Amino acid sequence: MHSFWQIIARFFGRTDHHNLDPRQVFERFRTVLRSNNRALEIIADLGEKLSGNYIFDRQYIGESVEELITTLHDSVVALNHLDPHHQELFAVHTRLTEHLRAIMLREDDRQGPRLVSLEEVDPLQWSIVGGKNAHLAELIHHLKIDIPPGFAITTRTYHELIEYNGLRSLVDQFESLWILGDRPDELEEVRLRLEAALEIAKPPSDFLEEINQQLAAMTAKTPSPFTLAVRSSAQEEDLDFSFAGQFLSVLNVAPTPRAVFAAYRRVAASLFSRKAVDYRHWLFPEDGKMSIGAGIQIMVDSLVSGVAYSTDPGNPGGETMIVVGTWGQGAGIAEGEFPGDTFLLHKGDPATIRERNLSRKASGLYLAVEGGLIEKPLPAELQDEACLDEAQLLELGHRVIQLENYFKRPQDIEWTFDQQGRLFILQSRPLLVPVTRDLRRDLIEALKHYELLVVDRGQVAQQGIGAGKVHVVRQDTDLEDFPDGAILVGRRDSSHFVRVMHRAAAIVTEIGTPVSHMATLCREMQVPCLVNVHDILSLVKNGQEITVDTEDRRIFRGRVKELLAYQLSTSINLGATWEFRLLRRLLNSVARLHLVDPLMDQFTPENCLTYHDLLRYIHETAVITLVNMGKDERSLLRHNLARSLELPIPAGIMIIDIGGGLAPEAPTSQVPFSALTSIPFRAILRGMLYPEVWHRATMPVGFHDLMSSMLSVPTDALEGQYTGHNIAVVSRNYVNLCFRFGYHFNIIDAHCDERERDNHIYFRFLGGATDLTKRSRRARMIAEILTAFDFNVRTRGDLVIARASNMLQSEMERVLDILGRLVGYTRQLDVRLDSEAAVDYYVEAFLMGNYSVVSDE
Amino acid sequence: MVVGSNSEPRRLLIIDDEAIVGKRLNQIFTKMGYVVEAHIDPVQAVAAAEQHPFDIVVTDLKMQGMDGLEVLRRVKKINPRTRVIIITGYAEMDTADAAFSGGVFDFIPKPFRLDEIKDAILRAVSDMAGDG
Repeated sequence: MHSFWQIIARFFGRTDHHNLDPRQVFERFRTVLRSNNRALEIIADLGEKLSGNYIFDRQYIGESVEELITTLHDSVVALNHLDPHHQELFAVHTRLTEHLRAIMLREDDRQGPRLVSLEEVDPLQWSIVGGKNAHLAELIHHLKIDIPPGFAITTRTYHELIEYNGLRSLVDQFESLWILGDRPDELEEVRLRLEAALEIAKPPSDFLEEINQQLAAMTAKTPSPFTLAVRSSAQEEDLDFSFAGQFLSVLNVAPTPRAVFAAYRRVAASLFSRKAVDYRHWLFPEDGKMSIGAGIQIMVDSLVSGVAYSTDPGNPGGETMIVVGTWGQGAGIAEGEFPGDTFLLHKGDPATIRERNLSRKASGLYLAVEGGLIEKPLPAELQDEACLDEAQLLELGHRVIQLENYFKRPQDIEWTFDQQGRLFILQSRPLLVPVTRDLRRDLIEALKHYELLVVDRGQVAQQGIGAGKVHVVRQDTDLEDFPDGAILVGRRDSSHFVRVMHRAAAIVTEIGTPVSHMATLCREMQVPCLVNVHDILSLVKNGQEITVDTEDRRIFRGRVKELLAYQLSTSINLGATWEFRLLRRLLNSVARLHLVDPLMDQFTPENCLTYHDLLRYIHETAVITLVNMGKDERSLLRHNLARSLELPIPAGIMIIDIGGGLAPEAPTSQVPFSALTSIPFRAILRGMLYPEVWHRATMPVGFHDLMSSMLSVPTDALEGQYTGHNIAVVSRNYVNLCFRFGYHFNIIDAHCDERERDNHIYFRFLGGATDLTKRSRRARMIAEILTAFDFNVRTRGDLVIARASNMLQSEMERVLDILGRLVGYTRQLDVRLDSEAAVDYYVEAFLMGNYSVVSDE
Repeated sequence: MVVGSNSEPRRLLIIDDEAIVGKRLNQIFTKMGYVVEAHIDPVQAVAAAEQHPFDIVVTDLKMQGMDGLEVLRRVKKINPRTRVIIITGYAEMDTADAAFSGGVFDFIPKPFRLDEIKDAILRAVSDMAGDG
């Protein structure tokens, strides 16, 4: 762990570029930016392809990934050219690149931990915990749904099991026979050998001990004795395909490492069962690589269990869900062996019960003492009674609607109520709806009967079809009462919409772009989204039901159930394609950002988990290197580039132009404000010159003395006094401004051009002439003001570090102007900060624009 | 957007050795009312065209067995009125020149947006209507 101060030291301890001409430093910084931008463009391009709005192929993916790998390497080289102390990033690049190559080879499932607690599954681990576990982890995090606690055995363990038991060459043989596809007898023979070998496989070394640790952790959190359910979680299971019942589940397993392992290897062997192999061959004839994970969860002692279909497959565009339940465990229902009660619910808000079809339930499945399940006759009074009462049905119905809204397609859900009446979701997977020829033929005809509200308008951020009631969002507070399954219609796109995306059927905005953060989030969550739909707010009303078809950029009045049914029958194929699956896995490992806060301890090369993290680290590090350039006064002045700046306030600034920061005709000294062409520096100076912020009007007693201490180099330098010049290094789009105002030291470093992601502001403030308490109060005051302007701020004693980035140029200029005012406003305020209340007073005054308070007193 | 509501629907042939291209375009244009056939093997595709000619052919350029320029020659021979659109990841100018001199209707570099291909197909359809 690095302490805050180690991080500061890391960033500030180096001045190795002091022999470089500042023009060279800046040019090298620009090279880092260029290469980072190219990499981010490639990532954005790849992300856009996931929207479904493009035709692309494997060649495109392969070429893009290669270019990305090279470009990232260029970024690391460029950063080291700027500051050679970042050689360790080459190793980070290599580590991340190896993972990408493993994904391209479909071997990324061989990495990572052996076991992961379900609560701790990270999105980067989705491919190794398997689809079913990944879904369950999402339910825990995003919907706060109760699932039985437990852990995942990853696909890495499966590969270890294969290696440890000497089965790798047999698996390779199986895969190549699969691809060849013309020797079914040989394939069948290898399949049988693998199935048999896995059923008696030996545990890899220390594996039982690791299981034991997970079991101990579960025991510590569970008050009463429990048994376990060991279920398959294959790589693709639940993500796009149902794989319903293809693999083995072992129920009511004793909580010992040996029993768990014995159940696990049976599950692993079921990857090679006849029916699973046949199903997979039908689904992915061209992809023989497969692996399997498992979920080990506490076995629920069920009162009543069953299955729910969030949509009636017989009426795929309709609004009816089906719930089937029985007393005890639900295994018999899922396998179709037990009769159950069937309930039809209307998916309104709230859901209502439409129909109850009860059947005689002579027996039920219950936990057997020796393990497994046992069939027991049911008491007469239960046999004809509905297994679910109204409250239970409505609670379940609510959950089912939530799950369908979250996964954006009909769900096939296994659920159970325990003996205490608590509802658990055991599994939620896509419900496959068969498409009929009629559906396609009738679609064109049916669509003629619906009124079109929007035709051929807007841009596609995410493909798809969604129907629901309009919920207009004019400001963030409108998100508070967003109804489940509604369509968000907004004035402009906003990443704040992420709060309701898992509940939204679609998003439509009047202004926006398919490359915004919101669009990226829509692709991640598969929310159909149209942006730039001119006038949409005047075409729809709150509460009105509409259907959005982003594929053909049209919006219908009402619920077009034919279109919804058609969508169900085709979109699954698209997600199932090898290219989409590969792209999703690549982006999952490239585009996610974990290093969000450069001021946190975690902001280190070791913690870069994706290319995006690495790019972020490189950018921040390059900025810090630039910031340090301004600190090194002697080096800057050595090159004889400095000219004095003539301002109406006595700020005494020397200016060094490294390209386009001054007009060509600017004089060699006494440069007037009008000759400044540096966009960010002009913005700061505008703020400093703003009426009353420099408290020129009524100068307090002693001001001149203080001012002289600021502008000269005193001979009796006090401890902690910063001496030297105030220097601004500028270009057209850049400023590095260092104030050495006697007792405090202040840096503003900003890059500002028309590309949002090039832009940053770095602000650092340290010291003051008064005692530490007052200096710390000033630090708090600055921090509060900067926080109000959306800076990311960190303070320690009298040090304030604040950063902001990724802003539009106009916003940058506005914020830099504010910083200019702040510099003037706070210059000597620490003298007056004699109480915490005074801090609040001056913060408030600044935020109200009441700058004169600093000169009134 | 919807074609063929009063007359016979237009017949569309898609040839690309990467299956996803045909799958996706099939989905899109079936929904728009076209009769779509997608092939990953250009030789089989041309054989299908010989059986029952197509109005519009969308073909990849570089494929095993037969390249897009050869597909262009063959389908034009079967039915000179067929409009051929070539899609390719290798956008080279001289190939494009060769394609245009061979009577290609349009040339679209991959990857492309759905509205780009939709637009090309709609233009091809109205161009054919001009044939009378």
